Amino acid sequence: MDISFSEQDLQFQEEIRAGLNGSEFPAHVREKQEKGTALSKQDMIDFHKFIHSKGWMGYNWPVEYGGTGWSPVQIYLFLNELALAQCPTILPFGLSMVGPVIYTFGNQEQKDRFLPDILEFNTWWCQGYSEPGSGSDLASLKTKAVLEGNHYVVNGSKTWTTLAQNADWIFCLVRTETTQKKQEGISFLLIDMNSPGIEVKPIITIDGDHEVNSVFFTDVKVPADQLIGEEGKGWTYAKFLLAHERFGIAGVPVVKVQLEKLKNITSEYNDADLSKKIAELEIDLEALEFTELRTLAAIAEGGHPGAESSILKIRGTEIQQRLTELFVEAAGQYILPYEGPDGFDTNRTPAGPDYASPSVAQYLNYRKTSIYGGSNEIQKNIIAKAILGV
Amino acid sequence: MNLNYSDEQNMLREQVLKFCETNYDFIDREKILDSDYGYSEDNWKQFAELGWLAVPFKEDNGGFNFGPIELTVLFEEFGKALVVEPYLSSVVMSGTILEGSNHPEKSSIIEKIISGEHQVSVAYAEPNIGYNFLDCHTTVSKDANVYSLNGSKSLVLNGGNADQFIVLATHDNSPALVLVEADVEGLSIQSFKTLDGQTCGELTFENVVLSLESILAIGDEAELLFNKMLDISILCISAEAVGAMTASYMKTVQYTKEREQFAQPISNFQVLQHRMVDMFIETELTKSLLIKATLQLDSDDPETRNTISALKVQVGKAGRLVGQHAVQLHGGMGVSNEMSIGHYLKRFTAIDSMFGNTQHHINKYKAK
Repeated sequence: MDISFSEQDLQFQEEIRAGLNGSEFPAHVREKQEKGTALSKQDMIDFHKFIHSKGWMGYNWPVEYGGTGWSPVQIYLFLNELALAQCPTILPFGLSMVGPVIYTFGNQEQKDRFLPDILEFNTWWCQGYSEPGSGSDLASLKTKAVLEGNHYVVNGSKTWTTLAQNADWIFCLVRTETTQKKQEGISFLLIDMNSPGIEVKPIITIDGDHEVNSVFFTDVKVPADQLIGEEGKGWTYAKFLLAHERFGIAGVPVVKVQLEKLKNITSEYNDADLSKKIAELEIDLEALEFTELRTLAAIAEGGHPGAESSILKIRGTEIQQRLTELFVEAAGQYILPYEGPDGFDTNRTPAGPDYASPSVAQYLNYRKTSIYGGSNEIQKNIIAKAILGV
Repeated sequence: MNLNYSDEQNMLREQVLKFCETNYDFIDREKILDSDYGYSEDNWKQFAELGWLAVPFKEDNGGFNFGPIELTVLFEEFGKALVVEPYLSSVVMSGTILEGSNHPEKSSIIEKIISGEHQVSVAYAEPNIGYNFLDCHTTVSKDANVYSLNGSKSLVLNGGNADQFIVLATHDNSPALVLVEADVEGLSIQSFKTLDGQTCGELTFENVVLSLESILAIGDEAELLFNKMLDISILCISAEAVGAMTASYMKTVQYTKEREQFAQPISNFQVLQHRMVDMFIETELTKSLLIKATLQLDSDDPETRNTISALKVQVGKAGRLVGQHAVQLHGGMGVSNEMSIGHYLKRFTAIDSMFGNTQHHINKYKAK
């Protein structure tokens, strides 16, 4: 056994670090990230365009589709460096979700049509999975697509659709057939968000943010050539996609950076109680990080992460949530004034530490992490069934 | 030993419950939060008419001479509906200090509070002193027989609406409580929304001239009065938290019975049942410490301050558990601002942060 990275890996890491600290990095994005204020749509586009300009956008794609073809270790190091440089998360919807589905199950025409725009971030994708009546039980989804000539006609609604307000395209799981086994009648459809009959309604979350939406489909005509793979195979593609989403789901590098911030804050007032809690969290983080490395080592040797990746999701989100609690604790009573994730106007700022308001925003916002991407209860069911065999 | 509420106390509870049922559903509350004052003037008038604003005051001052038990009954019901009217700041906090002071006009001020036409708030917190409220930098100084007030106070509940403030300040290295008009020269006020939908203000005093009688208490007397105010305030927000916990677990039970996944109500799943049982257990344990603290405070028991700290710790821990579980079991709906359930979590978070958070009171309890 050997836990060290190779000479080439370390050199790779240096290159990434230098690139991220270079002058081309959009300064306005970094400034907002450091302050913990929300990024605009344009900020996100600028950031992704920058990543593309460095040739890193397809960090988890094979070379033949324009990706970097990096090894799992390189991907790991890349994501680490992004977090250390206080970058926003690379949006997963195009790159890590629909992209791999398209290049794995799509036809040549679909690959040519959609993949380049994903890499260049010319299109913003969102995910149409959950429905009001289908959350944990996703396969019970009811949004219907009926083939009429060259078009599918789609009716139904999707919910918790992240950043649908910015999206150009949505990939949807739709029901094309009512079957005995609910998973069998599901298909995977790509839909232009500008299609007539689509309505996006914001859902404001408890932190006051507009991140998620309801998306309504009324007689939306979708060209039949936007179906991926075969009708009725959507569930298989969805499961494939979920396995991809798991990469980096533990959020270790981001937590590390945040933890350092918190330590700097607490060192100022020498709070022994908080320091102890931070140490406990750090120990849990070490265990999680090494678990992630074990998964990585398995992938590097050609293995597939199975239900073990559910450990990363469960413990990763628990740690993320605990960290937000510690920030709130550090800010004490000064969390009280709070007017939303954008903070306060510069000429109207309440007294107290400047991290107080972002701490509240994070604390409330991060309640979602144990709910989304398959709730932690569902993840435990997966482990119980797939690993423990009970 | 008798731990039953009296008929009178039960009637009060019924009355508040009815009021909240008719005037305080989630939609009503949303409208109130969006209004100019951040609370409802109509509700405040009704509080006055129903006599609720008179609850803790002595008969000499026009009050009902009720004690902490009645206050906790009120607050428990307020907590269930997430009531935002400034009862805590104006009646409990300000009332406690005013009534214990020797201000020559205290009766008339209290009468005005009881009538609903006048609001007072206590300015106790400051930017850089954390929970050590008495170590404050705001000062009362005396120069040629003129007293003046300088400094700034933050997190003043209902600060943008109050007509008067009771300000905690330092005078000759000892604490002082002084009464200041909101429109006095040299006072500027900035108002903010709070994370749980209420409002708080920041006050800045620049050479505010004080009359001699505006000094409500000074030295040990001020400290005693201030601590008494803290104790009763913690008791009240703890009762509010118990009400909010009760509502949270009941709403969660209801939701899981209605929400179907995998062709059955999710309340069928044992893992969710146990979570809800945990929420219930924490609520009951908090209620126990609440009643213990209430009775001790009512009888001036010397153990009161420790029990108050124990209660605040339990409220912090239980509030977090109940609030977070409630959100989790509601799934995506739990983090939606359109559902009431997430607003309970916000209130628990605010309550924990006020008057010393969980860790602060653990240390205080340890040091007893």
